[in-house]
Amino acid sequence: MARRWASFLLSCLAICSLVTLAVTVKHENFKTCAQSGFCKRNRAYADTALSTTNWASPYSLDPTSVKFDRGILTGTVIKQTINTDETVRLPLTIAFYESGVARVTIDEEKRQKGEIELRHNSKAKKQRYNEAEQWAIVGGTKLSTGAATGNSAEQSTTRVSYGPASAFEAIIRHSPFGVEFKRGGETHIKLNDRGLLNVEHWRPKIDKPEPEKKEGDEEKKEGEEAVVAESEKDAAEDEGTWWDESFGGNTDSKPRGPEAVALDVSFPGYQHVYGVAEHAGPLSLKETRGGEGKYDDPYRLYNSDVFEYEMDSPMTLYGAIPFMQAHKKDSTVGVLWLNAAETWIDITKSTTSANPLSLGIGGTVSTNTHWISESGLLDIFVFLGPSPQDVIGSYSELTGYTQLPQQFAIAYHQCRWNYVTDEDVKDVDRKFSRHKIPYDVIWLDIEYTEGKKYFTWDPMTFGDPLGMQKQLDESERKLVAIIDPHIKNEGNYPIVDEMKSKDLAVHNKDDSIYEGWCWPGSSYWIDCFSPRGREWWKGLFRYDKFKGSAKNTFIWNDMNEPSVFNGPETTMPKDNLHHDGWEHRDVHNLNGMTLVNATYDALLARDKDEDKHHVRPFVLTRSFFSGSQRLGAMWTGDNQAAWPHLEASIPMILSMGISGFPFSGADVGGFFGNPSKELLTRWYQAGAFYPFFRGHAHIDTRRREPYLAGEPYTQIITQALRLRYSLLPAWYTAFHEASTTGAPIVRPNYYVHPSDEKGFAIDDQLYLGSYGLLAKPVTKEGEVAQDIYLADKEKYFDYFDYWMYEGPATVSVAAPLETIPLLMQGGHIIPRRERPRRSSGLMRYDPFTLVVVLGNTGDAEGTLYLDDGASFDYQDGAYIHRRFVYSAAMGTLSSEDLAVATGSKTSAYLKEMETVKVEKVIVVNAPESWKGKAEVSISEELAGKSSGTRSVPLDWHAREEGRAAWAVIRNPAVRIGSGWKISFA
Amino acid sequence: MRTLAVLLCLNCAAIPYVVGSEGGRPRGVGPEFAKFYKDATSFTCISNPSISLSISQVNDDYCDCPDGSDEPGTSACSYLSPLSPHTLAHQSNAGVNTTLALPGFYCKNKGHVPSYVPFEHVNDGVCDYDVCCDGSEEWDHVGGTKCEDKCQALGKEWRKQGEARQKSLGNAGRKRKELVAEAGRLRKQVEDRIQSLGTEIEGGELKVRQLESELTEIERKEKGKVVRASADKEMGKMGVLVGLAKQRTEELRNALTRVKSERDSSRSRLQELEGILSTFKEEYNPNFNDEGVKRAVRAWEDYAARDKGPEPDAAHDRDLDAFTKSDKENGLDWEEYESDDEESDTEVLYAFEAYLPSSLRTWLDQKLRDLRLWMIDSGILAGTAPSTGESKGVTDAKNRVSSAKKDLDGLHKSHREHQEDLEKDFGLDDVFRAMKGQCVSTDSGEYTYELCFLDKTTQMPKKGGAHTNMGNFVRLETIVVDEDVPPNGKGLGSGERVAMKHENGQHCWNGPNRSTMVVLACAEENEIWKIMEEEKCVYRMEVGTPAVCGIGGEGKPAPAKDEL
Repeated sequence: MARRWASFLLSCLAICSLVTLAVTVKHENFKTCAQSGFCKRNRAYADTALSTTNWASPYSLDPTSVKFDRGILTGTVIKQTINTDETVRLPLTIAFYESGVARVTIDEEKRQKGEIELRHNSKAKKQRYNEAEQWAIVGGTKLSTGAATGNSAEQSTTRVSYGPASAFEAIIRHSPFGVEFKRGGETHIKLNDRGLLNVEHWRPKIDKPEPEKKEGDEEKKEGEEAVVAESEKDAAEDEGTWWDESFGGNTDSKPRGPEAVALDVSFPGYQHVYGVAEHAGPLSLKETRGGEGKYDDPYRLYNSDVFEYEMDSPMTLYGAIPFMQAHKKDSTVGVLWLNAAETWIDITKSTTSANPLSLGIGGTVSTNTHWISESGLLDIFVFLGPSPQDVIGSYSELTGYTQLPQQFAIAYHQCRWNYVTDEDVKDVDRKFSRHKIPYDVIWLDIEYTEGKKYFTWDPMTFGDPLGMQKQLDESERKLVAIIDPHIKNEGNYPIVDEMKSKDLAVHNKDDSIYEGWCWPGSSYWIDCFSPRGREWWKGLFRYDKFKGSAKNTFIWNDMNEPSVFNGPETTMPKDNLHHDGWEHRDVHNLNGMTLVNATYDALLARDKDEDKHHVRPFVLTRSFFSGSQRLGAMWTGDNQAAWPHLEASIPMILSMGISGFPFSGADVGGFFGNPSKELLTRWYQAGAFYPFFRGHAHIDTRRREPYLAGEPYTQIITQALRLRYSLLPAWYTAFHEASTTGAPIVRPNYYVHPSDEKGFAIDDQLYLGSYGLLAKPVTKEGEVAQDIYLADKEKYFDYFDYWMYEGPATVSVAAPLETIPLLMQGGHIIPRRERPRRSSGLMRYDPFTLVVVLGNTGDAEGTLYLDDGASFDYQDGAYIHRRFVYSAAMGTLSSEDLAVATGSKTSAYLKEMETVKVEKVIVVNAPESWKGKAEVSISEELAGKSSGTRSVPLDWHAREEGRAAWAVIRNPAVRIGSGWKISFA
Repeated sequence: MRTLAVLLCLNCAAIPYVVGSEGGRPRGVGPEFAKFYKDATSFTCISNPSISLSISQVNDDYCDCPDGSDEPGTSACSYLSPLSPHTLAHQSNAGVNTTLALPGFYCKNKGHVPSYVPFEHVNDGVCDYDVCCDGSEEWDHVGGTKCEDKCQALGKEWRKQGEARQKSLGNAGRKRKELVAEAGRLRKQVEDRIQSLGTEIEGGELKVRQLESELTEIERKEKGKVVRASADKEMGKMGVLVGLAKQRTEELRNALTRVKSERDSSRSRLQELEGILSTFKEEYNPNFNDEGVKRAVRAWEDYAARDKGPEPDAAHDRDLDAFTKSDKENGLDWEEYESDDEESDTEVLYAFEAYLPSSLRTWLDQKLRDLRLWMIDSGILAGTAPSTGESKGVTDAKNRVSSAKKDLDGLHKSHREHQEDLEKDFGLDDVFRAMKGQCVSTDSGEYTYELCFLDKTTQMPKKGGAHTNMGNFVRLETIVVDEDVPPNGKGLGSGERVAMKHENGQHCWNGPNRSTMVVLACAEENEIWKIMEEEKCVYRMEVGTPAVCGIGGEGKPAPAKDEL
């Protein structure tokens, strides 16, 4: 009986916890496509076009207007509006860049020239927004000198060959207008192939009486010629969403009327598309037009503060990167849709038989996408690959590379909303040290301020911020304090007084200061689109202005979508006005980035007057756009302490990685709610593989600092943290690679194995940098084993016990709670630092361990990038960049210099690092021939000369059960910054 | 067995590490471990004597021993810890002891107290003066770190503070003795009271017994009465009715009084609640995305808009007041109906007894009674019907019994309470008995916090406003703490500490009931050192009190490292 009661209670508890988990996003707060006028119109347009045989797009390129000059093709696209017999002139530019990127831009002449009238006496700018590139694009736009128009085989097309070895070709079809992109003669991307191009031209609002309905109207859909006209008429008749639009009690005045741009982009033969971050869903994007396993709504990009967001959804989140890649066996291509307005992307896939005569052979799957933005230019960049890295690299060249962060930024961050006093912070700091748990940064959420007034400290609770930061600095730890863009509207607050008197805030549609609600209550928003606003913002972070901040204070920019509690969809009204009269609708998705940009500059500026001290800024942002990667890190926002959120974090972070913004992470432990100890432990194990690794918790949750978990959890969590710290040399090198090539820091299977079709959709396991380290964190409750997918014919070894696996295969790896499933692919050399310290800064002079993992070829290599982890001195050559190579044929392990050039600070740095050596070399899968070998000989290059040779002991261990043989070289003591060679022969 | 070969060191990178410090002990070795490092040519790992190393491998900054004992003066073995990720290369010999054999790097701290620094801190570029005042743990000067020897100054300061602390500790000890003595006195009081209660209970029981027998006697007599009522049926019914009516009226009056007071309290609670809600409605931020709050506000608006029913009516209340007055005041005199005062025949009969001498009277009375009872028993005379209500005499007797019983119950209860109090955990030596009801308070942020020992914890806004109960005392506990002790000694330190658990304080909006853990450490005065809201509505107080001095290592001189 008692038993029965117990089980009854348990099931009650289970139900209760289910109920708690079921709390998710409030859908009524956010628009569906059908509630977003321009999305609805364009989807309807697509429906009409796609259900009509011989649909003819009403856009054509005037052949007489086409000009090609030094890599740029110009012309005019004519839009025929049949029901009004009006033609609309749309200036076209197609630029071909040296990097192999092509860019197609379509504007609208009338708006461009300002020949339109705005409604409601609006002060808004008349042009289509054309400044997104000023924020997003920073390089790679050198025009191609080799691009050339060739003779067109077909009539009414223009051909341009371009790209490396002129292997790329753009075929511009005049009527209807469309572009086909080829690489090596094969078509990879088609624009307007399905005829969904739509540029909503300006038109005056005419108040006309309700048209009388004629019977039989709907049955007229037959004659082909009539179809276009009919559909235009349909659209014309549905003016319901052209003008003022209401949602959730807010009305958008839309002074410029309908102005959407839309285009279909087809990827023939491509089954997988990735990107368009940020969404909580699988890495390989799903279809969006309904059906089983498909979404009903398009992927949406409209940066929003989504409360308790849901899993597996195309719903918008906090940031937007309108960059998509398509991948098939051995080929990756992509597009960047440079538009900062609200954007929706429909994705469908179609199967066509490659050869209709070859029955039984599976057809080819193609992916069709439909991009719809509310306003702005139609501006699309086309990348033709062919490798994933080629596409991501070109994209990164355009939008900028990941900032090389300070080393502390890639170590562990301890955050909570909120550490309540300066004493509390010091206490947590002490406890980490006492429990020998490493951490680098402690964070302060909004409560440290006096009444949510940024740049102030609550005198009651943070009376001595400098003393607090001094204690942190003693073990080289840092503080990150939150500064949000909403400035409290309250008397006697100099910041708001200044912002008002200098007119630096965002305006409302009437062009006066916009007031909304956020954490402090009534607030104004800094307009970082304004150069004056940015300059002012820069000044606020000076140590004498932001009193209580110190050199180890860094910044967290939250709520920068912007989040406005009483605004439509929790953000600003679209008809708000920014600097220079741009409407908020034009720039919404850029807004978050402009704040981070200003904060980044501010952190640079605060140190300008100081001697020597110019450290790299660190800014964390929630909202982002293409280009934000240049400025710092992002996190996936307000997740929940629930297993599905842990699971979703992996594809979300992989997606950020391939979207050029790899410095990403999810709140470890989950923001809302209390994680079970198992979940917390598993989350730390997963978090150790997030590029940005931060534990965070909501104010209503119980404390969960790792030392509070109790045994065995505290110990297991500490192991995960120490694993991260021991691998920091590898992480830092991977960040360096990202900062120079755009390569993801954690990589999905398709990126590492672009030929392996079976692995294209895998998004629950990840590779760290170029090190062949393959992790599959446990993300399900009670799981004690993981199936890991090995894509290639190569040996893999368990990181911890050297158990050997052979690929290609799916192998099962034991994963009891204390274990992170982590394998090492043969052929790599992994640098580690094994001495546990209080923070990463205190590891600066610690020796290295090199783990040489020998695979099928018997060769291995790996790189190491090292600098002071803090300053910009690396730009003056103060860094070490080595490649370690193990050659089976030669039987040697050697260190080669990869440094590109020496600079003014090179030698001083190398001198400083002279004492830093390699203390241990571990060779996994060591050859049997080493059996009985007791020593290896070492020669080192010192001061440009060989040191002669010396011997050090080798300790060889035979293969046991399934474990590989392994060997240890005892204390080779070679300098990390020098050339050297260890000979095993 | 594994012996690592001694190799000629060509580059001699290891030489600087090999040099031991003066006194023959290698760097970082504490005196209690010196014996392991005596051999001039070889060293065997402390926990694994089968592993023998060349003496040059001691402190050569490479970890050879699975217990780390070959690196007492470097951080090379610091990774040997259950907190580190284990790889095969870290634990090559399965089954060997990989627990660190040494407690850390030994700092001599000449001029101060020697201590051990964790190996993780050796040569990390930070001068850990709090544990190693001579700076010897940064002997490698990585990155140019130089830690000068501060032991003279720090040691002097420490000794000075040590004296003060010792003095204060002495005082604290005395105070605790006083407390214990006071507790003993209070305990004695309780014990004495228990004893006297025992006597009182005996007396009370005796009294109850007496009164009960008296009652029996009276009832017996009563049975023998010749009651007119027995003949007059109608009057008998009336008597029953009157009796019932009186009783019922009394019950109704009591119930009405209770209902009225309950109503009043509900009404005032409702008013308070409505006040809270309407303030809530006015003050809440409509823009937080908290659907729960929004729903609550909407529900309140609906509620407020509804018809509230009639307002309280003063006239109606006056009526109720009137009802609750005694019947006499309302002009209803039950006695008029109860005491049908014409004496019964029997009573007349009895009355003549009064004229007889008392001994004869008793005898006669007894005889008469017996006679009457015999007559009743043999059916000649009708007995007094019990249903006709009892006489005043019986009622009075009954009242006397029940009142005596009540007194007795009270005595039992008090006895039980005192007994429980005696058995209650007041900590070692019963010391907290002396502190019951004592309060201490401190300011922190915008509040004053108060702890009343063995009672409750309270948060009081400095700007005024309602006090918040942060939990009521539940029990004493022992918890393990590990905290730093500041130089003034006002800190918990490490080890087991007495703690007071307080639960079920005021409910937190969107959270649990408030609770406070009060952790105690030895101090001269009762004093709140620190108050923290560890998480929403869960508080922790660190409190100094002489009551815990000398318990669980408290009050002994703390280890030197906490004191530097």
